[in-house]
Amino acid sequence: MKLPEPARHSRRFAFEKHAGPISCAIGLIVIIGLYAVRQPMILSPFGLASLANASVALALAAVGQTAVLLTAGLDLSIGAEITLINCFAATTMSASGLGIAWVVAASLLLGLAMGFLNGVVVAYGRVEPLIATFCTAFIFSGAALIVLPRPGGSIPDGFATALTGSWGPLPCSILLLAGAVILVWVPVFNSRLGRYIVAVGDDAASARLSGLPVRRIELASYMLAGLFAAVAALFLAAETTSGDPGIGNIYTLNSLAAAVLGGVALSGGRGTVIGPILGSFVLAIILNALGVFNVSAFWQDFIEGLILMVVLGIGGLRVLRAGNWLALLRS
Amino acid sequence: MSQPAGTAGRERAPRFSLGARFSPRGQQVLLSYLILLVVYGGCIAVSREFLSWGTMRLQLVQATFIGLVAIGETFAILIGQIDLSVPWTITLSAILGTNLAALHGQQWIAFAVVIAIGVAVGLLNTLGVFILRVHSLIWTLGVNLMLQGVALIYTNAAAPTTHVPALARFLALGNVGGMPMAFLVWAFFAALAILALGRLPFGRYVYAIGNRQPAALLSGVRLGRVHALVFILSALGAAFVGLMLSGYSSQAYLGMGNDYLLPPIAAVVIGGTRLSGGDGGYVGSIAGALTVVLLQAMLITLNVSEGARQVIFGAILLALASLFLKRGR
Repeated sequence: MKLPEPARHSRRFAFEKHAGPISCAIGLIVIIGLYAVRQPMILSPFGLASLANASVALALAAVGQTAVLLTAGLDLSIGAEITLINCFAATTMSASGLGIAWVVAASLLLGLAMGFLNGVVVAYGRVEPLIATFCTAFIFSGAALIVLPRPGGSIPDGFATALTGSWGPLPCSILLLAGAVILVWVPVFNSRLGRYIVAVGDDAASARLSGLPVRRIELASYMLAGLFAAVAALFLAAETTSGDPGIGNIYTLNSLAAAVLGGVALSGGRGTVIGPILGSFVLAIILNALGVFNVSAFWQDFIEGLILMVVLGIGGLRVLRAGNWLALLRS
Repeated sequence: MSQPAGTAGRERAPRFSLGARFSPRGQQVLLSYLILLVVYGGCIAVSREFLSWGTMRLQLVQATFIGLVAIGETFAILIGQIDLSVPWTITLSAILGTNLAALHGQQWIAFAVVIAIGVAVGLLNTLGVFILRVHSLIWTLGVNLMLQGVALIYTNAAAPTTHVPALARFLALGNVGGMPMAFLVWAFFAALAILALGRLPFGRYVYAIGNRQPAALLSGVRLGRVHALVFILSALGAAFVGLMLSGYSSQAYLGMGNDYLLPPIAAVVIGGTRLSGGDGGYVGSIAGALTVVLLQAMLITLNVSEGARQVIFGAILLALASLFLKRGR
């Protein structure tokens, strides 16, 4: 009998784990390079800040989506969560420092509460994540329409420039993203909860048999997603300085796509945080670049869809490496 | 789709037992018809209008559109996949079909376009989902986005026509022996779908793949062909609904399919088909389609704002799902 080769196996495993982030990083460099050839200004601090501003909301949403995907869940309500919080912030925020602080705190709590609702329905109500978050998405976007029936509202300038301006050479949006990841993601995923989240996503039945509180872990992952959605919504509010009851729609699909691009498995248990962030930057900058390359607005959706499919397809080319269908289905 | 294979036991009894005379499968179907009755009761409580044949006739036509899409969606969910490319398949087929038919003055061209789009979109979905192994949830959404792009590019080059083939109008609005033609079309295809799932080898392959794909492969099921057939049937259904919808509203316009992304899936789920695949059928989906349409109609009758309508629709669906549709433990 041939003995397994642990060293080689683990190296291959390590590569699989980082294949998503690495390919995203390469893609990001290529895209920014192409962009810079066409529009050299993009490499200036101002240009880089504008690219960051265009990407950070998606990155935050994708990080939230990843927290849920890691437990083998799915959050189709993330776009609606963003919409509701965006509308809430745009209708309630006043210019005073206290007013801003109050709305920011309330928005974060609102995000946690919406994540809590998702988590209760999925973990305790035992409803499929797909159908549960689809239903709550209706509730959240309906509530957003009640709060703000048509685009409007306003965001104080101080809050807007604080999030979209620059702090020295660094764009504030990047600092916000880094802050959210360092203050929330890193502590959570270095704690027992983070390991439990991955364990539940890898194999929920084994996790339950090992005595993990599977329901509470799933609940926590949805609340994490709600929290990141709230940060994304506040950033979007600062970027557009207004509210829009349709602003979140694209973030549901794009956050999923960014997570998958970044190597997060939809089947759960596998993924990093840097992958979805890089994936979001790739997606957002491609969309941003279409304007620079004089692509007609009518072609944008087509090209966006095509790029998404080609990138996802390239990721799926591992099928050519597998020996046969059976090995593939079991992998 | 989101749980480890095999945890959704096929023989698991539903939460409410309806007597030992029915199999678990039969109980699930019965339950979906009970939900339909409850929702219909709610409708009547809201407005006596729902007792009149005129109103219900309208609802039957609406349910036809959702029910026809739900056929392909049921197949797709039964093999453990999902098809989210429906909305823009509907729109593209309606716009291309009516425009090309008007351009050449031939009705059959619209039907040829339906078939061409159905086969093309189905094969594209199969390429991504089966050959490239991308999760269907995300691949079909990408296809949807690309089809939206194609529709935009086409309407930029050629304005949509208001000249709709007479046959499409007849299929959507016609009357045969007091019954709406649309409903008869639905009944015909529903019978075919139930027959295919229950009696034909195709149905057995679909359930086999949904239950355990490697086992299906080892038993000699041609996985690729079944996947392709399922996705082509789903896209064909959507494309056909597009043509019927253009007949129904006497025009084809951008975004006309947008309301058909999630209602058909809700119909399938209310009908007792498990999203993890391998368990369910089309009989329940029929009740699901009627339930969804009645719910929407009831909320319109209530005359509340768009936002409140969405909140109530979501809350009712959520309540139904959490009361009756438990996933496996």
